[in-house]
Amino acid sequence: MRSAHYRELFESWPALDYLEIISENFLGHAAPPRHHLDRVKERYPLVLHGVGLNILGPEPPDPSYLDRVAWLADYVNAPFVSDHLCWTGAHGHSHHDLLPTPYVPELVELVAERAAYVQRHLGRPFGLENLSSYVEFEQSTLSEWEFYAGVVERAGCHFMLDVNNIYVSSQNHGFSPAEYLEAIDFSRVLQVHIAGHAREPNGTIVDTHDQPVSDAVWQLYRSAMGRAPRPTLLEWDDRIPPLTEVLAELAKAKEYAT
Amino acid sequence: MTWPASPAWLLELEATFGQMLRTPLSRSTLTLRAETNAYPEALLAQAKPSRGVDPAERLAVYNRQYWFRLFTLLQGAFPLTAQLVGFWRFNELASDFLVARPPRSWDIDRVGDGFADFLSTALPEADLELAPPRSSLPRAALLEAVRIDTAYRDVFGAPAVTPFTPALDDAARLLSGTLRLSPAVALLTESWPLCELRRRVVGHALDESLRLGSRLEAPRSWLLGRDGLKLGLAALEPREAQLIELLTRHTVGTALTHLEADCSEAERQRLPEQVQTWLARSVRLGIWVGLEVES
Repeated sequence: MRSAHYRELFESWPALDYLEIISENFLGHAAPPRHHLDRVKERYPLVLHGVGLNILGPEPPDPSYLDRVAWLADYVNAPFVSDHLCWTGAHGHSHHDLLPTPYVPELVELVAERAAYVQRHLGRPFGLENLSSYVEFEQSTLSEWEFYAGVVERAGCHFMLDVNNIYVSSQNHGFSPAEYLEAIDFSRVLQVHIAGHAREPNGTIVDTHDQPVSDAVWQLYRSAMGRAPRPTLLEWDDRIPPLTEVLAELAKAKEYAT
Repeated sequence: MTWPASPAWLLELEATFGQMLRTPLSRSTLTLRAETNAYPEALLAQAKPSRGVDPAERLAVYNRQYWFRLFTLLQGAFPLTAQLVGFWRFNELASDFLVARPPRSWDIDRVGDGFADFLSTALPEADLELAPPRSSLPRAALLEAVRIDTAYRDVFGAPAVTPFTPALDDAARLLSGTLRLSPAVALLTESWPLCELRRRVVGHALDESLRLGSRLEAPRSWLLGRDGLKLGLAALEPREAQLIELLTRHTVGTALTHLEADCSEAERQRLPEQVQTWLARSVRLGIWVGLEVES
């Protein structure tokens, strides 16, 4: 749910199975976001997707932050909450980006314990989303999918599987996206994300969320849905077109899922 | 169940990665370019080359994303300021600010906190030189613009409040009480026609032909408030603005004493009636949220 679409959304109330909100956009006390949220939650089921948990950061989350997310989840009656398998800040700085770490067994244990803590605190299913990444580390001894699946299994939490991110990282780092999907236990996938990406002049693919989903990602999505259909969310966060265009893109998901 | 601590090697990696992210982009080629040779050696040694792209180039994606995300955010939060100086110069000011005060909160809307204060201390006491086709901008006008943008941001983001409606028994304690200003209201003063300029530029693409306009003959005051979800301006007479400003700092009685002391004899004659009118209007506009009386 993006503010650029509020007017069209409130005028047409299109038929949608659910909407996703960025948790942090509604954690504050500002009146306008709450007003819009109240209108939307009367019409659609809502799920929460966070960008500020910083589960791989050095500091524990501010208890008031987790309390606010739990409050918001209760307020909109969210069936689940998700955030990212990454770090977003360290040593007092907040970088407002989703940043990678080396993939090593030591961190599987660490993040799994933290994810279990978060899920318990929230009192509802908690999903971790895989990243788009642009750099890998020499220190890694696990593949990304081994790391991701290991964390989810040990934590007893869930996958928030971003198919576009699998594709982006696979192209940047040269692994097989099909092999990645093989490692995912689809019974633990809460939701699937799809989005558009862009290619930089040096060939690096960047997760921009500013254009339609690429054909290659649609094919990967078809493959994922072939394993088990899951609720799907189209992300479009920059150069946002009219809602009708976004809905037309989303409609393709139904075609690829069958 | 607790939150387990990160290993030391991860703390170190995240420290050097953060240092890389905050490395300012070079402006030397009149484009914003990542200075990859300034990245920490320890981080470069840990990043893998991949598919023919060297590690520094991959890290540069994050470096650029960090800066462009924050520039875009600040341009949106301070639209009048950005339009007046142009995006190139604005990004330079924003970069200086973000180097001095990098983001600390998970709440990205807090990134611009302190921008006005930073500029008021960091800018030299001289007109701001701008890139063509703009010429220069008076320092005071820039500071006024950034304060107006800040006020709009704060008023829009204020919580819902219930306006103060005086009851009959408030009359007896009014003079010894202090009125509390609503967080959804701001008092603005301009020496250039900045509020009108802001109305014209918000939501529009950068207008290279935008000009500040002439300095006003006398400063002008506005009350910025939120009605429902809309922000609106109400023009204030100079003494009315002074009264509201005094009321935010003093008891009603003390504020009136200060105001009266500043007035000419002719103004004093009309003051009682005007104060009644101004106070009634302020209540009607819902700018107060309470009356505090020391017990």
